[in-house]
Amino acid sequence: MRKIFGYECKRLICSKFFIGIILVILFYGWQVLNRVTILGVSHTAPFSPWSYGDYLSRMIPLLWIGALFLLTFFTSKAEQRRKAITSATPVKPSVYGLVRFCAAMTGTALLALVVILLAIVFYGQMFNWYAWSSLLLPTFFTFVPTLVFALGSGWFMGHFKAWLLFLWMLLPLPEFLGLLNGSVFAERPLTLNVLDPAFSLSIGTVIAQCVLLLTGIALMAVSAAKSKKY
Amino acid sequence: MKTICLFHLELCRLLKSRFTYLIIVLSVLSPVIGLILYKPAAASTMLSIYIANPAIAGGMASGIMFGMLAVFELDRAARSRVDILIYAAVSPLCMALVRILTLMIAALITLGLAMLVWLPVSKLLIGSVFGFVDYVLAYPIFMGLAMPLGILSAAAAYQFTQRADLTMVLFAAFAALSLTLWADNWQLCWLNPCVWALSDDFSNFRIFRSVVYMRLTWLVALSGVWTISWLCLRQYGKGLLGSLLLSVRRIYRPTVALILLTFSVIAYAGQPMVDNSNPDETAMLFNEVPYTEDVVCTGYTAQIFPDVNAGTLSGYTAYQFQNGSGQEQRVAFGINPGYAVSNVKANGLDVPFLVSDYQEYNEAMLEITIPADKQVELTMEYGGFPRENANMSTMQGSTEISEEYMCLENATLSPRLMNVPPDENMYPAAIEITLPYSMTLIPFGNSDAQVVAEHENGTKTWRYKRNSTGGIVYAGNYIREEVVVDGFTIEFYYGSKHKAVMESAGAVNAIKSVVDYCVEHYGYLSFGDENKLKLIQSRVLGGGYAAGGASLLDEADFTAENLSNADKGSESGEVMIHELVHQWWGLGNMFDVSYPNSLWSAEGLTVYTTYRIVKELYGEDYAQKYYVAQWQKAVDDYYLDFYVRNPEYLAALPADKQLEITDNLTYVRQYCEMPLKILKAEALVGGEEAMDKILNGLFNRELDPMYPYLTYQEFLNACGLTEEDLNLA
Repeated sequence: MRKIFGYECKRLICSKFFIGIILVILFYGWQVLNRVTILGVSHTAPFSPWSYGDYLSRMIPLLWIGALFLLTFFTSKAEQRRKAITSATPVKPSVYGLVRFCAAMTGTALLALVVILLAIVFYGQMFNWYAWSSLLLPTFFTFVPTLVFALGSGWFMGHFKAWLLFLWMLLPLPEFLGLLNGSVFAERPLTLNVLDPAFSLSIGTVIAQCVLLLTGIALMAVSAAKSKKY
Repeated sequence: MKTICLFHLELCRLLKSRFTYLIIVLSVLSPVIGLILYKPAAASTMLSIYIANPAIAGGMASGIMFGMLAVFELDRAARSRVDILIYAAVSPLCMALVRILTLMIAALITLGLAMLVWLPVSKLLIGSVFGFVDYVLAYPIFMGLAMPLGILSAAAAYQFTQRADLTMVLFAAFAALSLTLWADNWQLCWLNPCVWALSDDFSNFRIFRSVVYMRLTWLVALSGVWTISWLCLRQYGKGLLGSLLLSVRRIYRPTVALILLTFSVIAYAGQPMVDNSNPDETAMLFNEVPYTEDVVCTGYTAQIFPDVNAGTLSGYTAYQFQNGSGQEQRVAFGINPGYAVSNVKANGLDVPFLVSDYQEYNEAMLEITIPADKQVELTMEYGGFPRENANMSTMQGSTEISEEYMCLENATLSPRLMNVPPDENMYPAAIEITLPYSMTLIPFGNSDAQVVAEHENGTKTWRYKRNSTGGIVYAGNYIREEVVVDGFTIEFYYGSKHKAVMESAGAVNAIKSVVDYCVEHYGYLSFGDENKLKLIQSRVLGGGYAAGGASLLDEADFTAENLSNADKGSESGEVMIHELVHQWWGLGNMFDVSYPNSLWSAEGLTVYTTYRIVKELYGEDYAQKYYVAQWQKAVDDYYLDFYVRNPEYLAALPADKQLEITDNLTYVRQYCEMPLKILKAEALVGGEEAMDKILNGLFNRELDPMYPYLTYQEFLNACGLTEEDLNLA
């Protein structure tokens, strides 16, 4: 399984698409950091968890699209045609599917890592600021639920109808998922009525993010269960 | 011939595709987004709301959709795995060319359909101020040109990568950059041009020119990029570089690409629309130019010839100097950075001159060396396309020069003398401007213009006198109405298309109530012998100004939209109120030049008085919500800002970011913090009546001729307060 996982990862990561999207992320991210994040969000420092969270939120649409495109590697028509061969191997389809999902997750995690590293380089270069531990919570709450949901829902839809993935990429970012559009990071510090508040999220936001995470995991599990039937 | 035949076939195929139908229908409907969701034009004029917003939103949506259609069509052969068959019969280069042309035709058809569909809708929504010329220009420029840009960028990305997925990501990022991070850069926002307002009453050619320039620059740049990507199209089983080497064998192909790219870079860098004014708006280096010694200016004349078709201006000016120094002197003028200066002569002989690269407040400095002669007549010709201030580049349109409207301010009208003092007569000047027959010239100030000549080519020459180095003139198809209030006359000039709106809005009554309020509370103004004041309606500006004997009224003060919207009704005329109040605070009572960090200026008392008038006219709740609460929020935001609290981090930022943050300082302190302090003073001295008495006393105080300015200390003394008493913390 490790070999298959390594092969699938290599297939995703050593592709023109992956290199291309990393370049796009670097360019777009640098523009966001230099034009928006540098000013700080809601009276906080540019390197506060709030400003950093706002930056991550602005990068999420790109990661969302990137994650779904990575899934198209496994759900495209060409891949469906190859399924006749892969199904003939002695590997359980559910396990094979899980390995591929993990490969897509690894690819997405690498993209997210590029986004994070870019911010770290920016903070170091611009402000000589290296207290990265304060960025862990916003990173976790912003990226993990959203990207797991993107992968889980994308995996589910892609196996149902491949073209649905392309529609899913155009998902308008709903207001109630505050972390997705960054409004949480811009609005919450103002409601706390203290200067430079420590990072915290409202119960509602935490629940929304948990629901997002669990839905992503559930959809992924449903897809895996479905593939058992073959 | 084969290509033409292929083009015909491909076009028929494209137009029979259901996906193309869908894209066309969605694109035609897309301007509706501008009515509901996406409203980049912030002004409340009817054309901004019902033409600019729908057309820009339509351009944004259709540009994105046509980009997607381009990817879908270019990927079709590879997706269906028939590319090997097709390219065995037709060259991939020929096929790509045919495809891009057919997509362009589809975009053109879409634009035509959208214009047909939205014409009656726009006409119905806009009503009496609907302008067919504005409509016919706005849709092709704002919406139509977005589609080829979307097609070219998406097609170029696809041709480079040969992957639909990567192309979609690249295209999404390119579109997202325009819609977010580049949205405030008028040259970069290829998808959503910086159009903040379209005028209802006057023409909009200047802003159209600006958007056309931006779009054509991108069109040339993307055509160049597309041509390079076209050369990279994979042929004979070779990769990107191998195919490129094959394609460039015909030398004209890379040459065309390079010419296009070079031209686009030149067009971007050498844009003629905005200047390079110092982004630090607190810089006043031109004010620090030392005055010449033993040279005085005894007067000047100028003849100005605006070209209303090209939006340009040419002029001739002659300055008279008395040079008592017995040596050559360098005199400095401020001139619009878009103008070229030529034929500079002193007493009929050519003299050296230099135009500085440094620009400030929409002026470049023209330095001329005048000879040692005692009497010097300095003449020069100047002209060109006036540039606007780079710091206002997202709000272009003010230097409109057309048959309908013209506003020429200071150095845009004629070179403004900077460093030569006047003699005892100050700077007597005679200005002549030749305008189309239909236009009325209105000098902004006490002067009156007279027609001195009528020409056979349908123009008239107007002449007026002024006594200053700078000056502003307005010209257009104006209606003049005389309003007599409290013993003096207000000459009220407004656009002829605005007559119905002005009458419905009761503009004359609004003017009377403002003047009544100020006269009653502060006292009478002195308007010189004729005792009159001009109130001139400008093209939508987003603000205004006042000078001795004249105030501005922004077109957006009274619009049909404001009248029909009950919630916004009370906002009408607030710029007009502010600028009229400046006749009392700022002109009737003068204030010294304020420094960047200074709180005290004419704006504090003017904003406070505007608030009082608004409170009287529209009620306490409205005034509290839209004035006091807004000042408080701006002041709070400013003092809570991270960089204000931590200046050491501000110092570490790049200079442009530092300026972006510090430029707010002057505005917030003068327009928000000072009015709040005056409001606090009002409470401390015993309320509005007590404050009115104090302000009345200050307005009518005996002036010191050596320093006639009203100072903060005088205000504090009159209130019996100290600076510390007015601390807001």
